[in-house]
Amino acid sequence: MPTMRTSKLSFKQLIMAMFTSAGKLVIFVLISIILLLVVRFVTAPVIAEAERQTLLNTFDQVLPNNLYDNDPLENQMQITDTDYLELLGTTEPVIIYRAYNNNQPAGVIFQTIAPNGYSGNIYILMGVFPDGRVSGVRVIKHAETPGLGDKIELAKSNWILEFSGRGLRDENRTRWAVKKDNGDFDQFTGATITPRAVVGAVKNALTVINDMRDKLYE
Amino acid sequence: MSDSMAEQKKSAWQDYKLIIENGLWKNNQALVALLGLCPLLAVSNNAINGLGLGLATLFVLVVSNTLVSAIRNLVSDEIRIPVFIAIIATMVTIVDLTMNAYFHSLHGILGIFIPLIVTNCAILGRAEAYASKNKVDRAIVDGFFMGIGFLIVLVVLGGMREIIGNGTLFDQAHLMFGESAKAWTIHFGKDYQGVLLAILPPGAFIGLGLMIAFKNYMDQKKTAKLQNQLGIKVAVNG
Amino acid sequence: MNPLTSPFTHNNQSVRKVMLQVQIAAFPALMTHTYLFGFGIVVQWTLAVVTLIVVESLMLKLRGRPIKPYVTDMSGMITVTGLVFCVPPEAPWWIIVTGSSFALVFGKHLYGGLGYNPFNPAMLGYAFLLISFPLQMTQWTLPASLSGHSIGFIESASYIFTGQINGVTVDALTGATPLNEVRTGLSQGMSVQDSLTNEVKSKAYGISSWGWVNVAFLVGGLWLLLNRTINWQYPVGFLGALALISFVFHQYDPDTYPPVMFTLLSGGTMLAAFFIITDPVTASTTPLGKLVYAAGIGVLVYIIRNWGAFPDGIAFAVLLMNIAVPLIDLYTRPRVFGHKGKI
Repeated sequence: MPTMRTSKLSFKQLIMAMFTSAGKLVIFVLISIILLLVVRFVTAPVIAEAERQTLLNTFDQVLPNNLYDNDPLENQMQITDTDYLELLGTTEPVIIYRAYNNNQPAGVIFQTIAPNGYSGNIYILMGVFPDGRVSGVRVIKHAETPGLGDKIELAKSNWILEFSGRGLRDENRTRWAVKKDNGDFDQFTGATITPRAVVGAVKNALTVINDMRDKLYE
Repeated sequence: MSDSMAEQKKSAWQDYKLIIENGLWKNNQALVALLGLCPLLAVSNNAINGLGLGLATLFVLVVSNTLVSAIRNLVSDEIRIPVFIAIIATMVTIVDLTMNAYFHSLHGILGIFIPLIVTNCAILGRAEAYASKNKVDRAIVDGFFMGIGFLIVLVVLGGMREIIGNGTLFDQAHLMFGESAKAWTIHFGKDYQGVLLAILPPGAFIGLGLMIAFKNYMDQKKTAKLQNQLGIKVAVNG
Repeated sequence: MNPLTSPFTHNNQSVRKVMLQVQIAAFPALMTHTYLFGFGIVVQWTLAVVTLIVVESLMLKLRGRPIKPYVTDMSGMITVTGLVFCVPPEAPWWIIVTGSSFALVFGKHLYGGLGYNPFNPAMLGYAFLLISFPLQMTQWTLPASLSGHSIGFIESASYIFTGQINGVTVDALTGATPLNEVRTGLSQGMSVQDSLTNEVKSKAYGISSWGWVNVAFLVGGLWLLLNRTINWQYPVGFLGALALISFVFHQYDPDTYPPVMFTLLSGGTMLAAFFIITDPVTASTTPLGKLVYAAGIGVLVYIIRNWGAFPDGIAFAVLLMNIAVPLIDLYTRPRVFGHKGKI
């Protein structure tokens, strides 16, 4: 149909038709852009606040937020030392969020990675008290076999709570393993690799934290 | 004059009835047209996720149908499709931003599937097949009931998968309705193991297949009954 | 209708004869299994047969088909027998019941019954169980020689139905299979050889209990081959491809990839080679197609075992190749004189 019609149009009419169509399209796109800009302007601060709140809620799980009074998101330091980063299972710099209470150190929160899970990396968020004890551990992201390895999620089992309150010292170094390897931590029926990987990753992270202890709150 | 108006009103009601029947059953976008299956299969692992995506899709469908119908005489054939796409994409982005702001956790779970509503063929399909050819009021009703039909399938499929796979219903309702909704979760059996298959992707395909089969079964039964009733008539006329 | 994909007119007599032969061929494996792992499998098999009769009758009634000739054609029997060997002998009763039901309902009847199912029903049931209940499906009863406790019929039945055995802790009786041990060992930086020598105490004449079950399947399978009940292309293609790929990888890195003998005699290798992939309904039917189909399964099994998320890949490999069968048949169809183009 359109080709039929255009063939009858003169050149001038054709140009006119093109311009009106293009003009209408431009107007519609402009209206869309303006509308989106307005919505974005309204929602941007709300989204930023929601993201901040979500992050703080996750932090609260590994380091209860009644233990500190500062904003850990505003008080960061970076680990860039490659030896440390290898223990944290990554090559990218790791951000350490520091919590203070009355200007006294209250703990640090950071992410570490267990690279040796059954299927892919296991991303872990953990908090550590200034005395080196674990305040809490949560698995943020993983791809372990559903029904077997996914018991590292708090939603599936309480296993991850076993870490709370433990510290890594020279005399208990060998206890940081699953029971099958003569350690303190339960393994799951049917899945040893996953808990072994998580215990190993937390142990490595504590090694880093112990090593850095003096520099952590500088 | 008043006669023709009454007639118009009557025909509008008939139209609405037809639209409703099409949207909910006869031309259900998920069960008959088989459109929008990608998000449908991906996020229907529990009832609340299904409800979230269903509502977002419903909203986009109604608004895009309204706008497309309203401007149907303004745009020429050449720029019709780009304009429709611009409208749909804008609406989806608005929904995406709004959900991110006010239902942040739910948005986090539905993730990529909110922006992907743009690619849900059901929406462009309705804009092109219905809204661009019909009056605004009918387009709105069409968008609403097509959306409701899609939403029902999403929620039922999600609910089925959740019950079989997890032994719960309306788990995580608080993501949408606030903390008080935490009590809404229904648990079926304390020691229920859960058939994981239902929650994983194969469960979505099997579940949708069963729903389509059920719909076809109902239609067949209805046709058979109708044929039985008309049997004598047909024979006489034939 | 395509004459090359078995249309299966329901010739009850011949179907039953073939199926009966297959049942007999599985007998050595059943005996070996019972001798090594206890009576669990007998209980499971009984449960499966009861499920079979109930589910088949129900589905046939729903579909409006005569019940007796179809139930007694023994094809469902092969399905559940194949499945029983894939289920841990001491798994809870509902595992085999749901697995068999799923295999028969979704694997066979929903597609229109025997002859129309694209997927091997036993493997569909196995995949369903693996995905749905990974915990119960990975806990294998240890051979009596390992656990120091042989389980009697009554004890097995009691455990399967109630989850308890008098006086014995369950953890002492169950553990991971050799395939699982190798994967676990590798994640700890142990070499394959070390993991395998850990298993040494369960071995008799250098072959583990799981290995002996495989040998028994091999014996039964060879009998089927001699009988011409099954085609040689299936086992040869499958075992050949599996042996070849594991030989190459073992030569390349013996620490990470297990030796050929281990690959051939572990998991469900021999069960698949002679009893699963030979199913005429779901396999390719052209001579060359049979080889391609079987070899494809062999390669996939190796890939899933070594790099997948599940220790044994028989189920997924068979299902994946099942769906490729129409394509294989299309490209390997022998030229027929007097016909042009599409048949």
